Amino acid sequence: MRIKSIKSWAVALALLLISPILLPISAQAQEAPGAVTGVVHDANNKPVAGVTVVVRNTKTNYSAGTDTDTSGVFTFSRLPAGGPYSFSISAIGYQAQTLSGYTLKAASSLSIVVELKETSTNLDAVVVVGYGTQKKGTVTSSIVSVSAEEIRSRPVANALQAMQGKAAGVDITSNERPGSVGSIRIRGERSFEGTNGASNEPLYVVDGVPLNFGGVDAVNPNDIETIDILKDASATAIYGSRGANGVVLITTKRGKNGAMSINYVGTLTMEKQYDRMKMMNAGEYVEFRRNAYRRVKFLNAAAPANSTYPDQPTLADDQRILGQDAIAFANIRKGWANGTWQPELVPTTDWTDYALQTGITQDHTISVSGGSQNVKAYGSFGFMNNEGTQKGQDYRRYSGKFSVDLTPAKWFSMGGSVSTTYGLQNYGFATTNATGPGNIYAALQGMLPYAVPYDSTGKRILLPGGDINISNPVDENNYNINLRRTLRVLGSVYAEAKILPGLRYRVNFGPDFQSYYNGRWMDANSINRGGGNPGSTNYAQLNQTSNLSWTLDNLVYYDKTIRGNHTHDFGVTLLQSALYNKSESSSMTATKLPLPNQKWYALNAVSALDGFSTGLSENSLTSYMARVNYAFDQKYLLTAFVRWDGASVLADGNKWDMFPSISLGWRLDKEKFLQNVRWINQLKIRGGIATVGNAAVTPYTTLGAVQGLYYTYGASAQLGYVPSDPTAANPVSYPDQNLGWEHTTQTNIGIDFSFFKGRLSGAIDIYKTKTTDLLLNRQINAVNGYNGILTNIGATSGKGIDFSLTSINVRTRDFSWSSTLNMSANREKIELLSNGKLDDLNNLWFIGQRIKVYYDYEKAGIWQNTKEDLDEMAKYKLNGQTFNAGDIKVVDQNGDHKIDAVNDRVIRGHAQPNLVTGLTNDITYKNWGLSIFIFSRTGFTIATGAESLQGRFAQRELNYWTPTNPTNDYPSPNYNSAAGDIYRNAMNYQDGSFIKIRNITLSYNMRSDAAKKLHMQNLKLYVQALNPGLIYSKVGWIDPDLGGNTFNRGLVVGVNATF
Amino acid sequence: MGAVLVTGISCKKKFLDEQLITTKSLQDLKTAIGLDDLSIGMYQNLKFNFNYEWSYASTNYGVDEFCVGGDRTMQMWNSYDGNLNSLTGDVATIFNAMYANINSANIMIENVPLYYGDNPNKNTRLGEGYFMRGFDYFKLVKQYGGVPLKLSQTTTLLTDFVRATAQETFNQVIQDFTEAYNLLPVTPAETGRVTKYAAAHFLAKTYLTRASELYNDWNAGTRANDLDSAIKYADIVINSGKHALAPNFADLWNFTAPDGANEKLSEIILAAQFSNNTSTQGRYGNQIHLHYPSVYQNLPGMVRDLPGDREFQRLRSTDYAMDVFDRINDSRFWKSFKTRYICNNPTGAPKWDTSNALTPAQVGQFRFTAGQESILYIVNNAGDTRYTAIAPKIPTSIRFRAPHMFVRYFAGQPENMLGGHGNFEVSRYVGLSKFQDGSRNAVASQFGQRDGILARLAETYLIAAEAYGRKGQYAQALPYLNAVRDRAAYKAGEDRSAYVDGGVAYKTNVAATGTLFSYSDKNTYYESNNDLSVTTASTLSAMHLNSVADIFNSSTQFYTKLGVGSDAEKFVAFILNERSRELMGELMRWEDLARTKTLVKRCLTFNDEARPIENKHYLRPLPQSFLDANYKDGRPLTSAEKAAMQNPNW
Repeated sequence: MRIKSIKSWAVALALLLISPILLPISAQAQEAPGAVTGVVHDANNKPVAGVTVVVRNTKTNYSAGTDTDTSGVFTFSRLPAGGPYSFSISAIGYQAQTLSGYTLKAASSLSIVVELKETSTNLDAVVVVGYGTQKKGTVTSSIVSVSAEEIRSRPVANALQAMQGKAAGVDITSNERPGSVGSIRIRGERSFEGTNGASNEPLYVVDGVPLNFGGVDAVNPNDIETIDILKDASATAIYGSRGANGVVLITTKRGKNGAMSINYVGTLTMEKQYDRMKMMNAGEYVEFRRNAYRRVKFLNAAAPANSTYPDQPTLADDQRILGQDAIAFANIRKGWANGTWQPELVPTTDWTDYALQTGITQDHTISVSGGSQNVKAYGSFGFMNNEGTQKGQDYRRYSGKFSVDLTPAKWFSMGGSVSTTYGLQNYGFATTNATGPGNIYAALQGMLPYAVPYDSTGKRILLPGGDINISNPVDENNYNINLRRTLRVLGSVYAEAKILPGLRYRVNFGPDFQSYYNGRWMDANSINRGGGNPGSTNYAQLNQTSNLSWTLDNLVYYDKTIRGNHTHDFGVTLLQSALYNKSESSSMTATKLPLPNQKWYALNAVSALDGFSTGLSENSLTSYMARVNYAFDQKYLLTAFVRWDGASVLADGNKWDMFPSISLGWRLDKEKFLQNVRWINQLKIRGGIATVGNAAVTPYTTLGAVQGLYYTYGASAQLGYVPSDPTAANPVSYPDQNLGWEHTTQTNIGIDFSFFKGRLSGAIDIYKTKTTDLLLNRQINAVNGYNGILTNIGATSGKGIDFSLTSINVRTRDFSWSSTLNMSANREKIELLSNGKLDDLNNLWFIGQRIKVYYDYEKAGIWQNTKEDLDEMAKYKLNGQTFNAGDIKVVDQNGDHKIDAVNDRVIRGHAQPNLVTGLTNDITYKNWGLSIFIFSRTGFTIATGAESLQGRFAQRELNYWTPTNPTNDYPSPNYNSAAGDIYRNAMNYQDGSFIKIRNITLSYNMRSDAAKKLHMQNLKLYVQALNPGLIYSKVGWIDPDLGGNTFNRGLVVGVNATF
Repeated sequence: MGAVLVTGISCKKKFLDEQLITTKSLQDLKTAIGLDDLSIGMYQNLKFNFNYEWSYASTNYGVDEFCVGGDRTMQMWNSYDGNLNSLTGDVATIFNAMYANINSANIMIENVPLYYGDNPNKNTRLGEGYFMRGFDYFKLVKQYGGVPLKLSQTTTLLTDFVRATAQETFNQVIQDFTEAYNLLPVTPAETGRVTKYAAAHFLAKTYLTRASELYNDWNAGTRANDLDSAIKYADIVINSGKHALAPNFADLWNFTAPDGANEKLSEIILAAQFSNNTSTQGRYGNQIHLHYPSVYQNLPGMVRDLPGDREFQRLRSTDYAMDVFDRINDSRFWKSFKTRYICNNPTGAPKWDTSNALTPAQVGQFRFTAGQESILYIVNNAGDTRYTAIAPKIPTSIRFRAPHMFVRYFAGQPENMLGGHGNFEVSRYVGLSKFQDGSRNAVASQFGQRDGILARLAETYLIAAEAYGRKGQYAQALPYLNAVRDRAAYKAGEDRSAYVDGGVAYKTNVAATGTLFSYSDKNTYYESNNDLSVTTASTLSAMHLNSVADIFNSSTQFYTKLGVGSDAEKFVAFILNERSRELMGELMRWEDLARTKTLVKRCLTFNDEARPIENKHYLRPLPQSFLDANYKDGRPLTSAEKAAMQNPNW
């Protein structure tokens, strides 16, 4: 409980002045005390000041602490005699030491000399760079590492979550459906992503094996040792064509030299779903519908009485517009109980309550690790059971990993690992209608607030409210089963031989197998199938996909160091690599199965399937790569390489391309002129330029496949083909016979630094990107008979800055506070398009603008019943455009009093953020730790907010126009217009900027001696608050982090124990 | 080990070669088999006309026959409000679908001479290519006016297209249909393939269209010949010996099972073929069955079932749709509309209470039960004094009737062609039942399995009749009109209260489980017609036109309302009415009213919401996506050029 000294690089002096006041005089000596004097010096025999020394008697639990003075001397003048005493010595920038086993005789004194060793700072850490590892200090490109410690600082469900906010330039979104993962963007977007265009997803490499079909969720996050993210092209180019969007290198845990240890990690999560959107209550909704009807008369005075609604409400008129369902209308009658309308008397059904549950997730991983010089092994088994916050959604994952590394001879090593995950996701209810709600919560949110789900006998009312388009989703979680099962087996085998000194040959073989299975069952009682009405039929579907791929790398390494006056380190890497990927799929659907419990397991129970298909897709890639690393005195660093890739998916003649890279580094801290600048510990400047390619093209795109479709002449079904059918779900694009590589050239300049003995460390990277020959899925002039083409056209450029800074604000014996700030700003813009510097309006691509922009009319407000507005409206009327008070007023950009698509649409915003910021604050006090992660995305536009306001369907609360409420927020509802106001989409662009606390973690790290009493080496307990909430957001009805209106909030309790 | 694998796998060039084995490629379209495949593929485009919401929105909304029902999703196509514009999705959907098939047709036309050899189907394939291209340009010119004429297959992507004039586009359509007529066989190799007579029918229709009022600015030089040609080709079909009118108008709609008798009638000249082969039915099926029915399932005692169909309630019949018929003598009304339902949910049926029971004993009893009539639509006329909405407590007050009653006119209500009378409402109207589909594999299924008729002989007769009338040869038009009208008359001995629609296919449908169905084989003929005494007399003489005076002196053809005075105008009004009676809801109406420039007047007169504008709404806007993608001299069009290319006032 005593604060012996407080040191902060910023406030050190001030606090040093007070610290003597805090010196305790607590040693209560039974006998004459002894004294201990020590001196602390560094490797150069220079004294070290400000070193914290803690003395502890393990028997009596007595402890005391002090600091060294400017001469490096510390003194304990009155220590109780006895022992054994241990001395813990720690200082920033040095490795902590504990000297133990001292016994102090009464009234005697003892002298201790301590030599401190500098800690290995981040520049000495080893990072994975692709086809090898390198010391961070010698790396010349932009790589972010997420350490094991950071990954384990809080519980996460998948590897993406582990990276969230830990790395500048890496933007990760969340997905809250159990078993679904978010998306990741490294340094923004540069490709025009489309159904067939190049993807913006990074490449994942697990233990050296690239994942050929996504799925980072296949790796149990508790098996991850480190994650290294290659950001700039001079790093990612090592993966050639596949590195265009960044590379995420995941290193999993392996056995280590030493005694076997057992580790257990367990978490229990309780989550609930919350909603930012507030729906109208029954009373508000009734008035809303009335207003929608009143609008009919407002617009057309001659409208028949039964198509509108009087100014003063009447029960008879309510009956007409709201009375289709007698049970629901009984609720509205309650509002008329006293003869006049009292909206507060109408009960509101809490529909979404029927969808929600407390989601409980348990996650357990047990792992064993250990080994000797010759054999090292690691094994783990994980089980996660994730119950969703919505009924019917859950996810179970079983994962197992086993790795072994064998070194039978000094010159030969071999090893391998197998990771297996088996995931079972109950996807939950989704409507079969393409535009319908995707989950039961959203479906229930669409129910009318005055209607009720069940009748008096407890039977489900199929159409609550009586509208035939509003079917009751209550209980649908029981009528719909959508089981998605994924088995993933990821292997990695290597053998390495040291042929001559410095010369090694290595072969890596990485087979990867995934079996995906999607069984869907809809009971005849489901609203997707008729709701149990006569003629309702059940439905079963089984879709299966199996992916098999392998990667084979042959690698030769040669490393040589020449020492003399100067040290020359050489490293050469040669690679030959081949990759093959095969995907097979099959699908069967049937209806009218005789037994409901057959689900999709007995599709032979029907005489004929309703649908069936199989498919095949193969692609391959061949590569060669040569790399040279050179370091002069560990001061001047060079990495250069070139990679050649050949991709099967590109057109003949364009399959091969070359991707060079060169990068340089300069360790300034190794220079003499900085040797004596004591506050600089590490300083490196690096810069590089490289070209990467992108060939993320669907196989067979260039071959001119035609579209198969059936026609039945009479009853004879025959298969025919057309070049393209635009009404198909995925129309065939025009085949580009010259399709080739997309090229991205990136220049990156960065600084890695560590100052004040590591109290302030970080990196800054500035980069410029130019992408040419963009793989573009472009809409084309439909007169050609095709809707689109995937082609290489145009260019984009980008620039950005990644900044990460870690500051140890306060560090004392018991208390420390550190902050890590990651910021990244990225702007990309379109330079060239299919016709040079000309905008492509059809695809909404504009020269000089961001890649994904919103282009639409601009809302100015709502037309009002004022003289000024009426005069304006009259001018539009002369041009044949009728506006009325209550309609959306859009900006007439060219001032011709005619709103038209040609002249009056403007860019309304862009989808990618200008700035992404993650701030982590870690506070430790003794064994306690508190970590707060704040995340922010600013400067982007979210397309949300357009409302049709017909007055027919459920509606969120909003301020809409009526003759007595002349707002400029939302237009008047209008029952006659299902689509809503003509310019409703002008309401659709919101500033998405937000700041959010993603999580707060409180942890308790048991002292090792205490843990030992529990027969553990280590014990950590934590509690984490997930998603405590938004600090700032401009949009009131959605969570801009997630893009939807709902979010989960919860609590995680976890334990991490090593035995 | 690795070195072996290096040479074994990666050095082969083949490793990077793609092999497409799951489908054919464009290269295959340079073989006879591939061209046969392409022919099959092209037919898909015929189904497009029935696939989705664009089908009715672009053809049967915004006209005199139908207005918007309880679901207003596509209302902009009816009201012509600002939501119908160049960005409206389906404006581009139709445009794009036509050009995609035009590309297929161009491949056929170019490749058959080069690669088809002396295969005996050579002329047929070529004829199919010309037919499809003509058919698609005909659709384009009717909807958009003159469009870019692309007459060769796409081998490189083009950007610069100019609009042909409507006249040039018509010339192309006529040229293509003529080629098709010359090449196609008289008998199709398979049900549903196009024939010489399908080409002749559409050729006649194209000539007639080109001779219509919309093109008066430039068609003076071709009009007379066009009318003669319309008659010539119509006569060829009529006299072909291959096609004859079905004996009973109801035969066309009596759909008992997929590919049943009604789909094999010789009256059908061309129909898009839909089937019950679910694994090959594609993305949509025939969805027209969804759009016409009014809502029945939310009335007490009723539940949605297969014969009743899903009620998307998009198209609500107007008063015109009812009053254009002589509903006593013209059987077509009663064979086109559904007026009666049977209780299929007896536990939910309403009960009598003290406010509506005629005798105290009734109170608490079900008003109707299983198998009894539960919904009646009474299609009466203004002046009918039999019905009142509430009081007095007499049996004719609909409140005291057992079934749910929907009556067009209550006592004392004056005639109003824009509704607002009786208790018909947006969701309760007399639904067109020509497309009902009781064969679907689930009550919730949108996948209709009925063929979609694109041309039938009755229309051929009406084309010829109209052409004669437009020539002023009214008397010559009469035999053609009478062929259609005589068939429409009740035959001697015919039960006028009998009713059938395609919902009846539920009887052969295994998905139609249970015993209670809403389907009724009766209509409300007698009650609707003022409780007419039961009769089985023929109405032939009432239907038959004995002289042109029967046309010009008729008081039931809305001549006054439409403001037509001359014989020529009256004739066009009459033929449009006759086309309504015969072809009600068959997805042609908007094109008929646009070509005759009667759209504005008829909408204002008969449609409560449609407010089309003269010189604007006879054409659809060109899709903005086309204008935005179109180039001139290697650069996109300027705003002014886009405005100039767009149809007037859009």
